[in-house]
Amino acid sequence: MFDALKGFGVTFGTMFKKVVTEEYPEVKKIPAERYHGRHQLNRHPDGLEKCVGCELCAWACPADAIYVEGGDNTEKARFSPGERYGAIYQINYLRCIGCGLCVEACPTRSLTMTTEYELADDNRQDLIYTKEQLMAPLLSGMEQPPHPMRLGDNEQDYYVKGPELAVSMESAPFADSMETAPLKEQGK
Amino acid sequence: MSNELVPVLTKRWLSPNSWTMDTYEQLEGYQGLRKALGAQPDQLIELVKASGLRGRGGAGFPTGLKWSFIPQGDGKPHYLVINADEGEPGTCKDIPLMMADPHSLIEGCIITSYAIRANFCAIYVRGEVLHCIRRLNAAVQEAYAKGYLGKNILGSGFDLDIVVHAGAGAYICGEETALLDSLEGRRGQPRLKPPFPATSGLYASPTVVNNVETITSVPYIVLGGSDWFRAMGTEKSPGPKIYSISGHVEKPGQYEAPLGITLRELLEMAGGMKDGIPLKFWTPGGSSTPLFTAEHLDVPLDFEGAAAAGSMLGTTAVQVFNETVSVPWAVMKWTEFYKHESCGKCTPCREGTYWLTQILQRMCKGEGTAADIENLLDICDNILGRSFCALGDGAVSPITSGIKYFRHEFLALCEKNAEDSYEAFLAGASA
Amino acid sequence: MTLAADKNTDIVVPDGHVKLTIDGAEVVAPKGELLIRTAERLGTVIPRFCDHPLLEPAGACRQCLVEVEMGGRPMPKPQASCTLTVADGMVVKTQLTSPVADKAQAGVMELLLINHPLDCPICDKGGECPLQNQALKHGRTDSRFTETKRTFPKPIAVSSQVLLDRERCVLCQRCTRFSEQIAGDPFIELLERGSQQQIGTAQDQPFQSYFSGNTIQICPVGALTSAAYRFRSRPFDLVSTPSVCEHCAGGCATRTDWRRGKITRRLAAEDPQVNEEWICDKGRFAFTYTTEPDRLLRPRVRDAKTGELRDASWTEALRVAAEGLTKAKEAGGVGVLPGGRLTVEDAYAYSKFARVALGTNDIDYRNRPSSAEELAFLGSTVSGTNPEHGVTYGDIEKAPAVLLIALEPEEEAPGVFLRLRKGNRKHGNRVFHMGQWTTPAVVKTNGTLIPCLPGEEADMLGRLPSEVDELLRRPDAVILLGERAAEITGLFSTARELAAQTGAKLAWIPRRAGELAAIEAGALPTMLPGGRPVTDSVARAEVELAWGLETGTLPTAEGRDLAGILGAVANGRLAGLVIGSVDVHDLPNPELAERALDSGVFVVSLDLRESSVTRRADVVLPVAAISEKAGTYINWEGRRRPFPVVITGTNRLPDCRVLDTLAVEMDADLFTQTPAAAMADLGRLGHHTGNRIPAPSVDAGRPNRPGQRHAVLATWHQLIDHGSMQDGEPHLAGTARPAVARLSVDTAKAFGVADAALITVGTDRGSVTLLAEFADLPEGVVWLPSNSTPATVRTSLGAGHGALVTVTTAANGAAS
Repeated sequence: MFDALKGFGVTFGTMFKKVVTEEYPEVKKIPAERYHGRHQLNRHPDGLEKCVGCELCAWACPADAIYVEGGDNTEKARFSPGERYGAIYQINYLRCIGCGLCVEACPTRSLTMTTEYELADDNRQDLIYTKEQLMAPLLSGMEQPPHPMRLGDNEQDYYVKGPELAVSMESAPFADSMETAPLKEQGK
Repeated sequence: MSNELVPVLTKRWLSPNSWTMDTYEQLEGYQGLRKALGAQPDQLIELVKASGLRGRGGAGFPTGLKWSFIPQGDGKPHYLVINADEGEPGTCKDIPLMMADPHSLIEGCIITSYAIRANFCAIYVRGEVLHCIRRLNAAVQEAYAKGYLGKNILGSGFDLDIVVHAGAGAYICGEETALLDSLEGRRGQPRLKPPFPATSGLYASPTVVNNVETITSVPYIVLGGSDWFRAMGTEKSPGPKIYSISGHVEKPGQYEAPLGITLRELLEMAGGMKDGIPLKFWTPGGSSTPLFTAEHLDVPLDFEGAAAAGSMLGTTAVQVFNETVSVPWAVMKWTEFYKHESCGKCTPCREGTYWLTQILQRMCKGEGTAADIENLLDICDNILGRSFCALGDGAVSPITSGIKYFRHEFLALCEKNAEDSYEAFLAGASA
Repeated sequence: MTLAADKNTDIVVPDGHVKLTIDGAEVVAPKGELLIRTAERLGTVIPRFCDHPLLEPAGACRQCLVEVEMGGRPMPKPQASCTLTVADGMVVKTQLTSPVADKAQAGVMELLLINHPLDCPICDKGGECPLQNQALKHGRTDSRFTETKRTFPKPIAVSSQVLLDRERCVLCQRCTRFSEQIAGDPFIELLERGSQQQIGTAQDQPFQSYFSGNTIQICPVGALTSAAYRFRSRPFDLVSTPSVCEHCAGGCATRTDWRRGKITRRLAAEDPQVNEEWICDKGRFAFTYTTEPDRLLRPRVRDAKTGELRDASWTEALRVAAEGLTKAKEAGGVGVLPGGRLTVEDAYAYSKFARVALGTNDIDYRNRPSSAEELAFLGSTVSGTNPEHGVTYGDIEKAPAVLLIALEPEEEAPGVFLRLRKGNRKHGNRVFHMGQWTTPAVVKTNGTLIPCLPGEEADMLGRLPSEVDELLRRPDAVILLGERAAEITGLFSTARELAAQTGAKLAWIPRRAGELAAIEAGALPTMLPGGRPVTDSVARAEVELAWGLETGTLPTAEGRDLAGILGAVANGRLAGLVIGSVDVHDLPNPELAERALDSGVFVVSLDLRESSVTRRADVVLPVAAISEKAGTYINWEGRRRPFPVVITGTNRLPDCRVLDTLAVEMDADLFTQTPAAAMADLGRLGHHTGNRIPAPSVDAGRPNRPGQRHAVLATWHQLIDHGSMQDGEPHLAGTARPAVARLSVDTAKAFGVADAALITVGTDRGSVTLLAEFADLPEGVVWLPSNSTPATVRTSLGAGHGALVTVTTAANGAAS
């Protein structure tokens, strides 16, 4: 008798508590800044790709979700500073477990993760993301590769000057989509 | 002047035009040669053995013994190579000797070549001393003209050619096997031993490599006899020796004295410390020999005495430093030298000197820490005895001995750093 | 005291050996052995970088320091075990038992790493890097080095194939020592000194060596990388399979690494009896030809309506081929040209196919200039060659004298060249080169040139300098004949005579990898497998029995040889051809071959890639490349060199399988469905003990003499040239020796071309224009590389070694 009322009491009491239901997809929640979402392949400030096709991400991946094939940059077609670039890059989101080991493995900070979490589809093929889908968008000042190195004569210039240029771009309005996590960490 | 001075090798140095054939011949020049050519080669080797002459290039190896290692009757040509690549910091005895009295070296070469049955002798002179090379060349030509060199010397049937070869400015070519490689036209890097030069030296033939001062002593021994020679110096280190005194003394220069003299006596001869500023540290035989301090003033400067006191006689290049000199700074400069001169063949010397230099430079800038001192000592331990040749060993001796006697100076540099950073920390906190 | 004495007598020390103690264990070692190897035999691996068992000791890296006690007295310093030879009574303490040695090694390790970049994640060597392994095993976990690292700009190309990353280099000098000691090409040296010391080349003098790839393999760090492999893969991504090189008759052991269905690199494998640890650059880098775009992947059949080749199914192609061949067999017969690059199994399938399915002896594998004299020599002397009785690499190394006739070892048999050089350096053996000029190989083997006119070699053998004759009479002297011998009348006969007279051993070193296999398999018009003469009824009966044929089935007459087959096809006597991988331009008379193929004859081609043969064929059957099949090569020693499938799962068919199926379509059974089956079938034949083909007896021919109008041509192939098996590897092509025409100054003057930079060598067929270079050739002789220019000696000149040619100043000044 008393127990039944107790149950109603719980229900009644809940009516006055804050609602925890998320109104997805009407209202999209913005995850934490360091959420492990979809990957992104970043660019140098002049638009050249950071990926050098070293395959360390593929090696680090515990789920074998990444496939990379490197290619040679030539004088005529340059996609990244230095000798090599990622010619084929695929991440299979059916396999990816979002652990982020690939991001830790990346020696050039090419691979980072965005906060985008809407990774669902109705077929397997479309869940294998290709390089075109993973590449970061071209921001102002960036140029679609292939093109010659704009920031210096060799790849070292890119890594020496790159962070400064990235900082100056961070203050620009489009900074959100830049790869900013490491710089912000440094700031703290 | 002290009575200790015994001009033997240096006795003609002050004569007018001492470098000419005329002067030399007047002052009993080439007398030793005539006497030697009358003897059997083996008698000469025995004579030098009996005299107890030891190599003057630093290691002090008994010269007669070295000559006796040359296999005789092996059908191969024999060579005599004179190491005149005097590059050790502080060492400046051979070049003045060759400048003032080149014929004594040539006479020594002829006698030695006769003793070891060599018909070719090369004098490998440091490339930077062009004036000395010119004078030697002129003297060699004079000797050829007079028949002391060439075919059938003085009618004895003995042939000898001498070539004066200029090095290209590498300290490592003072190492005998590197010198041989350089002489053969190769890259000057030390060779694997064995085989030793005595069996497989220049062009893979039996070769004697001797220092200038060693060979120059030979004519005097031939003339004076081994007993006369042994009358000077000590039992195990007989003979006179040119001490090159440089640094903070009133009268730096070459002082020829019997082996076993002390720095106290040498300083007296050299007019004492410059401006009376007290002695702080000194090297007994160039920068590769561990440092001495004022407490070592009475160490007898012969091979045994210097070794017993924890250093080496080396080339008797006595560099004297007074109290105005910072030990870490001097050590840093020396180490820079070794880094510059490391041939690069072996890892410890090549990489070690590179590292040591950077640490010392940083310490001298006041950016060192106490841990750096321990690191220095540990790196030195990893180089000493691990390198291919003795260059690496020489490179660490100023550091280890410098820290041994003057650790407080190194620490003082670090404390400054610690204070600075503490101040900086405080400044940062208040800002 | 007695106890100790007893203990000492425990181990018997054989003569020439010493007894020493390593880490407390007594060990007997041969005198002169390096301490590091003795320890290794004991199971104690002393770390090292500069030490290499085949190079002279350097003692440069100082990583292998150990504590040594001699005669009860400890040596004052730790000793480098890679330079110290063992001595009696030596007491050695390695890093396992001596803290001093351990600290010394750790110290050197740390020093090696201070200037080494942290490249490991992106370095090719990472995963198979001795420095990395050593650092992980014994290195410090943190670095004490906080100063500035020495840096160099990233890779410099020391040749088009070899890239040098100086930052990574630990200056062990393995590469420079290899180049100087083993290859004899000291084009890389140490430069600068101290911490700036680096490996480098002289200005405008790249690292030109046929063996440069070995330096990459022996580099203990990732300092030397190959342009072809750099950044392509990591060692742990690769599947490694032992393999055998398919480029020359040397039979070098290799290791093929592949990934994702493609070969990424090839390395030298260790085989002390054959290639030791070295292979030439061609063997190392020339593997891309199998993945060229013109690779045949599907069978093709000539469409009856359009007359064009079209893709077809295997079923259809085999049916068409079988029908066509059956028809041709009835219409006059079918000739078989298997080509000289087959494995024993495949060559055997061709041989059996010709005899069983086609009923003919018209089979000749020799897709090169050849002669009847050679055929007799192959049957009488070469067939049945094996390392037990014949000449081996080891024999060449130890021979007191080696006479090379018509053989340019560095260009035609690089492995043999290395042994000759080693023999000269280690044992002081004498090498005599009978040839036309002092080639680099003559210099590098410290050899003596016996100059003669091209074609005069046979005659010259009768007039050998007495010194050579004398040396050849010493036990174990060796005479080596090259492929070119077939172009010199009487050479085989006189060489055999010379060998018989002097007692020297005789060996024949052809260029192609499949020659010995083809001889063993009987892919010749006079020979059944095992060197059995086709005309010998006993031999035929043996084969018929083993093959399960009725007595008298095998053709009894000798067949046509290469020229005979092509001639018979051209004039319509033969109605069909089965051709393996044969390049028309290799043939002595490419024109005749093309005429034959165009004569309307029915052609079945089994090939890897499109060629002028496949384009003219009626049926094209694609076959497996060397990496896609198993098989056995027989090298020039007669040594069997079996290898497994490298890239599995390609479903490509080896020649023996294709021929087996084709034979089934023609109602014959070859039992060569797989290489293993083919080998077993060949094995059932057993050794031939009966009659052999008689030895040739041909008098030395009269060579062409140069005259006022004509010079005599000397020619041979350069190792790296325009051969189709080097396609698709531009970096390798970049290391080829420049193609020049060589002649003496006097010859140039006589022909009025002394001032010309470019000269044209011509025949009535065509001409080759090349830069001229003066060399010590006999008067009136001009030398050309056979296949190093677009215009080749065979195709453009229609000439060969010893032919008469004209020499003129190049007309238009453009090299062809």
